[in-house]
Amino acid sequence: MSSIISVKDLTKTYKKVDAVKGINFEVEEGEIFGFLGPNGAGKSTTINMICTMLKPTSGSIVINGYDVKKSKDKVRGSIGIIFQENTLDEKLTAYENLMLHCRFYQVPKSERDERIQEVLEIVDLIDEQKQRVETFSGGMKRRLEIARGLLHYPRVLFLDEPTVGLDPQTRAHLWEYILKLKEKKGITMFLTTHYLDEAEISDRVAIMDQGNIIAIDSPKALKDQLGGDIIELSTEDNDQALKEISEKVKEAEVTVNDDIIHLKVASSDAFISSFIKTLDIPITSLNIRKPTLNDVFLAFTGRKIGQTSE
Amino acid sequence: MEGIIAIWQRDLMKFFRDRARLFGSFTMPILFLLIFGGGMSGTMEAMMTGSMPGEADRFNYVEFVFPGIVAMTLLMTSVFSAMSVIEDKDFGYMKEILVSPISRVSIAVGKMLGAASVATIQGVLLFILIPLLGLSYNLKALVQVIPFMFLLACALSGLGLLFASLIRSTQGFQLTVQILVMPMIFLSGALFPVSNMPAWMDVIVKINPVTYGVDIMKKVMIDTENLSATVLDAMGLNITLFGRQITIFEEMLFIIIFTIVLVLLATVSFKRANA
Repeated sequence: MSSIISVKDLTKTYKKVDAVKGINFEVEEGEIFGFLGPNGAGKSTTINMICTMLKPTSGSIVINGYDVKKSKDKVRGSIGIIFQENTLDEKLTAYENLMLHCRFYQVPKSERDERIQEVLEIVDLIDEQKQRVETFSGGMKRRLEIARGLLHYPRVLFLDEPTVGLDPQTRAHLWEYILKLKEKKGITMFLTTHYLDEAEISDRVAIMDQGNIIAIDSPKALKDQLGGDIIELSTEDNDQALKEISEKVKEAEVTVNDDIIHLKVASSDAFISSFIKTLDIPITSLNIRKPTLNDVFLAFTGRKIGQTSE
Repeated sequence: MEGIIAIWQRDLMKFFRDRARLFGSFTMPILFLLIFGGGMSGTMEAMMTGSMPGEADRFNYVEFVFPGIVAMTLLMTSVFSAMSVIEDKDFGYMKEILVSPISRVSIAVGKMLGAASVATIQGVLLFILIPLLGLSYNLKALVQVIPFMFLLACALSGLGLLFASLIRSTQGFQLTVQILVMPMIFLSGALFPVSNMPAWMDVIVKINPVTYGVDIMKKVMIDTENLSATVLDAMGLNITLFGRQITIFEEMLFIIIFTIVLVLLATVSFKRANA
């Protein structure tokens, strides 16, 4: 596998604030790369630099063999971007939006119509192509944007919070489309999302915090790194319970978040039966689960993803 | 090149779909035609022809002011159409354009051509009013004037574009433009001759592209060859620069240079916006 994006010693300094502090990473061709971090971690700054929208203070970015500094237009032609916010022209029809995109990206004239029908089919909007975008639902608009991002056959597709503001059902649908796309086109995807369960589809994720990349690996490896199972527990008196736990239970790592006591243990099966007997405080709820990316995130940054830094 | 045409066509397409805008932009020039053409024509004629008693009846103020009102429409529509840049920013579409491989100059030129075309169409639509005003211009002259109208519209769209690329909010843009547009009209000779202005105002008149645009339009539309020098003088159609009379060719050159400079400035501003 060869890398399609290669970022070296990338920094961005705003006046006196270091938003990005010299990060390095590679994205392999054909993979789904998840890019996670709390608000203010420097994620958007990094993506904007990669997408030629923001000039780096120092460091280099190479996409598809083109240097972002020297050949902006080549880079722009190699990537497709689905922005967080709507960037469709709502007064035009779906078809017109797609045709404009073909012209902006110099898609050969003879292929335009065929490609438009092709991408519309992927996102199931063939029958709606003559309608104005303002009549579309939020989910349809998103799908149309994804279709548009594919028209010029980009080597990398950037998806910046693609499901934000959509209802859970639409979100699930959208991921089906995205995965279908990956299967059909083998396109490399660079993804940011707030919903960590969605990031699970990534082949690898990078976690960014305070301008640095603090972890980069497959979701499974990251979770395995945490190891074991997680027991979430709340009791009638958490303070008392914590005291008891610290006295009697030695084999678990204990953390508290949002009034829930988290115990991390190597294996919950052996642990739980003896643990319940040792605790005198009545338990109000108990949940045993495998670590998720949320736990990984929490372990690395000390915060949940929705919380802002500082 | 195709990027320019795509951006240009998009703005035209959107203009034709927005009927309210199409008709709404008619109200202002009609209002001015009523006030200046109907209401004030007697006074203006008396004022402007005071110095030439013998030829007063050969001078028609409405004929003089009509090209001026058309130029005013060009100015307003060009500048306000450039506001589409701010709308595109607000609605996010500007991002789609900016991340595409279209060169920044092409974006500025495409936007400029879009606004200028819309303005020219609006200006030409005003020709419908000619018979209603009891005027009669030579049909050939009316056709001949259209390219000059487009040229002036390009310069003014370039100006609008520069402001639109610098200003973030539509409200801020509208305010700035109001302050800008009124003096540009009044100090251009569109509505009354500007031959006897105080020196400092004369400087503004001479750097105002509308002055030259209006002058060309009047020279093309009004049958100037059959008018005596005194009438031409009263109309202010003998602009001098550094002591010599300026030719139509020089006026065009000025407008073209003005356009190029402004489009380049707007391009720089586009580059900055995402640099």
